[in-house]
Amino acid sequence: MATATARTEAARTTPDGSLVSIRSVGKTYFTGSSAIPAVASASLEVARGEFVSLLGPSGCGKSTLLMMIAGLEKPTSGAIDLLGSPVLAPRRDIGIIFQDATLLPWKSALENVLFPIRILKLPLDRYMQRAHELLAMVGLAGFEHKKPGELSGGMRQRVAICRSLIHDPDILLMDEPFSALDAITRDQMNVALSEILETYKKTVIFVTHSIREAAFLSDRVVVMGGRPSGIILDMPMPFPRPRRFEVEETVEFTQVCRELRLTIEAAHGHAPSTHAAPAGASVIE
Amino acid sequence: MAATIGTETGAVLVNPAARNRAAAGLRSIVLPLGLALFVLVAWQTYVTVANIPSVILPSPISIAKYIVARYDILLIHAIPTTVESAVGFLLALALGVLLAILITYSEVAREALYPNLVFFQLIPKIALAPLFIIWLGIGSTSRIAFSVFIAFFPVVIATTAGFLSVDKGILRLCRSLTATEWQVFTSVRFPSALPHIFSGMKIAITLAIIGVIIGEFITAQAGLGYLIIFATARADTEVSMAAIVVLCICGLLLYGLVAVAEMIANRFYSADSR
Repeated sequence: MATATARTEAARTTPDGSLVSIRSVGKTYFTGSSAIPAVASASLEVARGEFVSLLGPSGCGKSTLLMMIAGLEKPTSGAIDLLGSPVLAPRRDIGIIFQDATLLPWKSALENVLFPIRILKLPLDRYMQRAHELLAMVGLAGFEHKKPGELSGGMRQRVAICRSLIHDPDILLMDEPFSALDAITRDQMNVALSEILETYKKTVIFVTHSIREAAFLSDRVVVMGGRPSGIILDMPMPFPRPRRFEVEETVEFTQVCRELRLTIEAAHGHAPSTHAAPAGASVIE
Repeated sequence: MAATIGTETGAVLVNPAARNRAAAGLRSIVLPLGLALFVLVAWQTYVTVANIPSVILPSPISIAKYIVARYDILLIHAIPTTVESAVGFLLALALGVLLAILITYSEVAREALYPNLVFFQLIPKIALAPLFIIWLGIGSTSRIAFSVFIAFFPVVIATTAGFLSVDKGILRLCRSLTATEWQVFTSVRFPSALPHIFSGMKIAITLAIIGVIIGEFITAQAGLGYLIIFATARADTEVSMAAIVVLCICGLLLYGLVAVAEMIANRFYSADSR
C-alpha cells in the first residue's frame, strides 16, 4: 500500500502535473494519391509515475500514437512534449518494448539486457550489477547466459523488459508486449510487470487490445477508436495497489471491464450507442 | 545370429534414441566411404583385368605411387595454385562485402549496380579469361584478377541478402536507442549477415580455384593447371591425374579453412549455445 501512496503522491506533486503532454496530435499516412488518417486528433496528459493504457481494437491508431511518443514516427499535426521538451526524434530517456522481444539471437540474455548500455556508450561495469538484479527480479536468475533460442516466449519478453529498464529511462513505452504470448503466460506477465513497477517506479504508456489487461495494470485507461480515430474515453481504474490476480475476480473489476467493452463497441457500432459514460469517467469526444 | 539379435534387443531397451543417433552417425560416415572405396576397387579391377594402357586410364594404385614418389614436384606446382587461389578468394571476399555494403546503404548504387551484376552473371565468364591475359599480361596478376572476377559474385549476392534480412524490430529498437548507423552495422547487421556471408564464401572459394586453374591452362610457368596441360600434351596421363588429385586436396584444404573460420565465428555469433 505504501508504494501505491508514494506513486499517487509523486503524480500530484509534479510541478505542472504531466510528464508526457500530447496536444492535438494527428497522423496521416500518404500512399500515392490516397491519404489514410491513422490518428485524427489526440490530446493526453500523463503524470509522473502514472500507468496509462491505450486501449482499442486493431487499427484504432493506438500503436501509431505510441510510436509518435517514442519519436519513431513524426506527427502530421500537433505536438508531443516529454519532460518539458518536444519529441522530435528518438531519445534516450525512453525505454521501449515491442510485441516481439526483438532480442539478438546470438547474444546471451545478459548481453541482450546490456545492449542499450553498449549503444548509449555508458560504462558497462556500472550497469552489470543492475542487469543481474533486473534479471533476478523477473525470475531469470540462472538464465543469464542462455541465448534467446533456449528461452520460452514469456522468458524472452522478460529479458526485453529488463533491457528496456537497464538505462533507467523516465518513461516506458510498451506496444502490445504480451499479445504474442499464450493466455496463461500473459496473466503471469501482467502480475510480474506490476511487481517490477513496484520496485522500479516508472511512468508507463501501455498499448493493448485486451480490456482485462488494461484494467488490471493501469491507473488510467484511455480508449481509442471512432472514425476518424481519437480518444473517446479516459477512465481512472479504482483498484488499490499493489494489485494481485485476485483483483480480477471482484465484481468491481468486472463492471469496469464491462463499461470499457461497451464504450469500444459503441464506437464501432456493435452495441447500442445510447450507452452512458460510467461515473468518474471523463468523455473527451 | 541369435546372439546378435539378443544384443540388439538389449541396446534398444537401454536407450533407443541414443542407439539410433549413433547408428545414423556411423552410417553417414560408412556409406560415402564405402561407395568411394567401391568405385576405386572397381576402377582398379577394370584397369587390371581389361589391361587398359595407362595413357588412357592409369590405375588408382599407380597414381598413388606416383604422388608418393614425386611429391616434391607436385608440391612445387601446388604452392602457386593454392596461394593464387587464396589471394583471389580474399580479394573477392573484400570486393564482394564492399559492394554489398554499397548496395545495402545506397539506393542509387543498388539501382545502378544490381541489374548489371545479374547481367554479368549471365555471361559465361570463362570466355573472358583470354582477355585478362591481354589486359594484365601473363603473370600471376591476370590469373588472380580472373579468379576474383568469377568468385566475387556469390559473395555480393549472399552478403547483400544477409544485410537486408535483419530483423526489422531490432532495427527499430536501435533507432529508438539513437544508435548510429555504424553501431547498427557492427552490432546488428554484420553479425546477423555472417551465416549468409559464409555460405557465399564457400561458393567463392571453389570458384576462385577454378579461376586460377583456367588462368594456368591459358598461360603459366608453374601451377597444377599448368602441370595438367603440360602432362596431357605429352600423353602423360598418370601425371595429370596425380595433379588433379593434389588439386582436390588443395581445394579441400582451402574449403576447410573457410569451414574452420565459420566454426570460430559461430562460437560468437550463433543462436545455439556452445
